[in-house]
Amino acid sequence: MAQNINPHYASSSNPAKQNEDTIKLNDNHAVSKRLQKELMELMRCSDKGISAFPESENLFKWIGTIHGPEDTVYEGHKYKLSLEFPNSYPYAPPIVKFVTPCFHPNVDTCGLICLDILKDKWTALYDIRTVLISIQSLLGEPNTLSPLNQQASYLWSNQPAYKKYLDEFYNKNKDS
Amino acid sequence: MSSTEPSQNKTWELSLYELHRTPQEVITDATEIAVSPRSLHSELMCPICLDMLKKTMTTKECLHRFCSDCIITALRSGNKECPTCRKKLVSKRSLRPDPNFDLLISKIYPSRDEYEAHQERVLAKLNMSHSQASLVNSITEGIKLQSQNRPQRSRKNQEESSNPSNSNGTSEPAQNGNSSSVPKDGTSTGNPTPPGQSTSNPASVRSTPSPVPSNVSSVSKNTSTTKRAKSVLTSERSEESESSDGRTEGENSMDTEGEGEPLNPNEIELVFKPHPTEMTGDNQLMRALRDSSVRYLKTTANASVDHLSKYLAMRLTLDLDAELPEAYRLLNFCIYVAPSPGQFVPLAGSQTLRQINDKFWKVNKPLEMYYSWKKT
Repeated sequence: MAQNINPHYASSSNPAKQNEDTIKLNDNHAVSKRLQKELMELMRCSDKGISAFPESENLFKWIGTIHGPEDTVYEGHKYKLSLEFPNSYPYAPPIVKFVTPCFHPNVDTCGLICLDILKDKWTALYDIRTVLISIQSLLGEPNTLSPLNQQASYLWSNQPAYKKYLDEFYNKNKDS
Repeated sequence: MSSTEPSQNKTWELSLYELHRTPQEVITDATEIAVSPRSLHSELMCPICLDMLKKTMTTKECLHRFCSDCIITALRSGNKECPTCRKKLVSKRSLRPDPNFDLLISKIYPSRDEYEAHQERVLAKLNMSHSQASLVNSITEGIKLQSQNRPQRSRKNQEESSNPSNSNGTSEPAQNGNSSSVPKDGTSTGNPTPPGQSTSNPASVRSTPSPVPSNVSSVSKNTSTTKRAKSVLTSERSEESESSDGRTEGENSMDTEGEGEPLNPNEIELVFKPHPTEMTGDNQLMRALRDSSVRYLKTTANASVDHLSKYLAMRLTLDLDAELPEAYRLLNFCIYVAPSPGQFVPLAGSQTLRQINDKFWKVNKPLEMYYSWKKT
């Protein structure tokens, strides 16, 4: 490892530290600028089945909506999600949760989502749009090997029974 | 792959495609190619900050470009891989500066400051239009505009209604009232989405609050056509002035669209009436509303029932400022459509006006909707 350190890089580590601090100061502005750009882009060309908008004047908290993907048991369902952006966005992922209760192998009862791109597979190139699209496709293609909701994971293999339970669950909870 | 095989059955006759195609022009130094700003933008943009590249760095192996600051922060804060394609990036040394690209950008956008200033302006505008405060602002402005037109309107009321509170007509312009039964209600749909709409017509509309003179007709015609030409979606602002157009049209004749100007297919006119059985005369809200209970509006067909009920709540609360007790401030509405007389179908919040119009209405006259008031 030691021999891999470029002397130039090592010596410049101090100025880099300072640089980081100034970045910190401008951070908020940079983050809200990026979020505003995303908002403009989202409004300009809205994708089918997903939408998102800042919850209030605070750009760091959004509400998104996804429609269940066609030809899956989630077709016809509509889910609201909350997205919270850290100050380190887009270098760190937003915290995304289901607001509408969602019965799904990879969603727990609090609405937390187990999705790699929201954790270790996050890259700064993802944005609100791609996050929502990913969650939308997760609905129809759950990862039943690492379930947060055991019951859903167990039921998934029996699609008719899953659909029946899911519809009941959805209709009971969609307004809460 | 196997280069010999096709050459064996090669003939020198030209195929149909080759006969008809026009040859590509040779690109020389003098060639000029038109490129749309948007496609150019995606080439010159840093995918991390979504801004124009600044001190471009290119990954050595996969050749993806980023701002120097952006990619360094990304590498420091996350995985050691290319944000675009996940190729391993061991350190800063997997990147190289790309001064040629910076030069290219400065050729295309000689004044970066100017570009950035423009960006800031656009974003500030967006910011303004998405804030709640500005929504309320634009509604109150709309009301002001309406009250400027009030003298005309009250005259109309006098003819139409026998309501005693209005019978002294023209002398009542100052009545806090909005006691209009006929005119179209201006304003937005109480809808927090306009930013996108103002994006679609960026540099205009919001900043031009042209007060509507009281005898418009020809003037308003012009503004409305130009605005429609500008974009299909309208911002709050333009909706206001458009519906004030609507009002003047309405005063000339209720059922024709001005001088035969076709209704924009993305707009829907609708009439809001209180639900006949649930909103009876002894209902407190109805008493407070009196004859302003019927509302006419024109808005984008993309507005949803939720937008409408928010709009109603906001409108009526503003109208009834003094008259409603505090407890009734938070109004909550249920909205119905009546596909046939006496049959009231409650509507789900997410349905858009277009869906409702297509599903229940179909006829070519303003959509009629009913509202009732839920105590919550």
